[in-house]
Amino acid sequence: MLVGDISAGLHQLVAARANLFCALSHWQTFAGADSLPHMRLPIALGAMAWLGCASFGFAAEPAALSPDQLAKAIKIDSLTIPTPGELFAALEKPGKPDWASQYRTPIPMTYRNRAQIALNLGGLIADGFIAVEAQDSQQVKNIGTDIIKLAKALGVSENVLSRGNSINEFAESSEWDALHEELEATQNEVKTSMQSHRDQDLVILVSLGGWIRGTQAVSASVLKNYDEQSARVLRQPAVVGFIHSKLDDISMDLRSEPLVKSVSEQLAGIEKLVAFQPGKGPSLDEVKKLNDAVGKLMDEIQRKEDAK
Amino acid sequence: MKSRVLLCAAASLLSAAALAWAESDDEVQAHKQVLDLTGAFTNDGFKLRDGHWAGQIKPKDRAVIAVNLYAGNQYWFSAAASNDKAKKLAVDVYDESGKPMTTESYSEGERASAGFSPTNSGQYFVAVSLVEGEPSTVCLVYSYK
Repeated sequence: MLVGDISAGLHQLVAARANLFCALSHWQTFAGADSLPHMRLPIALGAMAWLGCASFGFAAEPAALSPDQLAKAIKIDSLTIPTPGELFAALEKPGKPDWASQYRTPIPMTYRNRAQIALNLGGLIADGFIAVEAQDSQQVKNIGTDIIKLAKALGVSENVLSRGNSINEFAESSEWDALHEELEATQNEVKTSMQSHRDQDLVILVSLGGWIRGTQAVSASVLKNYDEQSARVLRQPAVVGFIHSKLDDISMDLRSEPLVKSVSEQLAGIEKLVAFQPGKGPSLDEVKKLNDAVGKLMDEIQRKEDAK
Repeated sequence: MKSRVLLCAAASLLSAAALAWAESDDEVQAHKQVLDLTGAFTNDGFKLRDGHWAGQIKPKDRAVIAVNLYAGNQYWFSAAASNDKAKKLAVDVYDESGKPMTTESYSEGERASAGFSPTNSGQYFVAVSLVEGEPSTVCLVYSYK
């Protein structure tokens, strides 16, 4: 399917260049150049030359990718795993859900197990996206504060801490689009800081926590007002498959921690629950099973007594 | 608001640049170029993913990146090279079986974009090709709404 009205952005690029030509035109006018009709010809020629350099239209279909090319495709956390915000945006298309009803009670801030902190940090970032969708400034600020508290517990860099101030400022001025980008940037900053502190293995746990919490909120929202079309956003087997493969790569020490082991085991079942046929949404019962599974996992992740 | 968003993007870029171990100068430059290109989408309500991929591509070669998209969303995938040694870039989208998708395309020398609205949620592949030019460092980002 084509993108429809989204070419407007690129037309703005064309418009920007057209404005430049207009600006030149005005400059020439003020400089006492010839009359406007005479100037239009060079302007038009310039615009045609520019448009000749940029091509804009519908792409001819290239050849299909081979199974080998698909298998060798680059998979990276920061692009291959969608943000909770992307999932929420898709669910909003038929009508805005009641996002505030997906809030959860505040989670403990005193975990000592680093894997549990990383998982909950991801979950909190998803909570931040929920609050942004609900356009609830105070909730965004509360969650921003909690994100920074958990990030501090992991000993992340000052860069992350300054993100907390930005989240507050954007929430204060209701800059919702900016908050989307700021929340993801905060998550990426946390991950970068983890990598530089040799906590590489924890990075995938942050993504995983965010994915579970996001899927919990979306499946609950679909359940409240089920329709097959909306339920289709829950089809994400490749995301779970990718996260699962990354979990298999983490150190044996971390993998054998009870919480990580349990999450990894349950993820295999969840992968099956989000693997519907393309073009067909899950039934109400299937959505309920998924919601139960991710809800159970989320409870385990946020339970305080699981900390070492 | 837009200036604050741009300031944040610039701050992200600077902090990325500070991590010299992670990215080469060419990759930082290609990232900067592609952010210039995506500014137009941001003005149109598209939210830019903070993540990106950057790497070198040889002429007539391509990098294929796996992404997961949601039915109902609209996406623009944008790529730019670090300099004009890349004469022509192309961005194409494929479904999970490798079948090419029809996209809305934009191409201007070392910059290119593909617009796509999936009807099915799931995995897709984005290919960035260096159609003409010398080996170049290229950066890919995407925006959605």
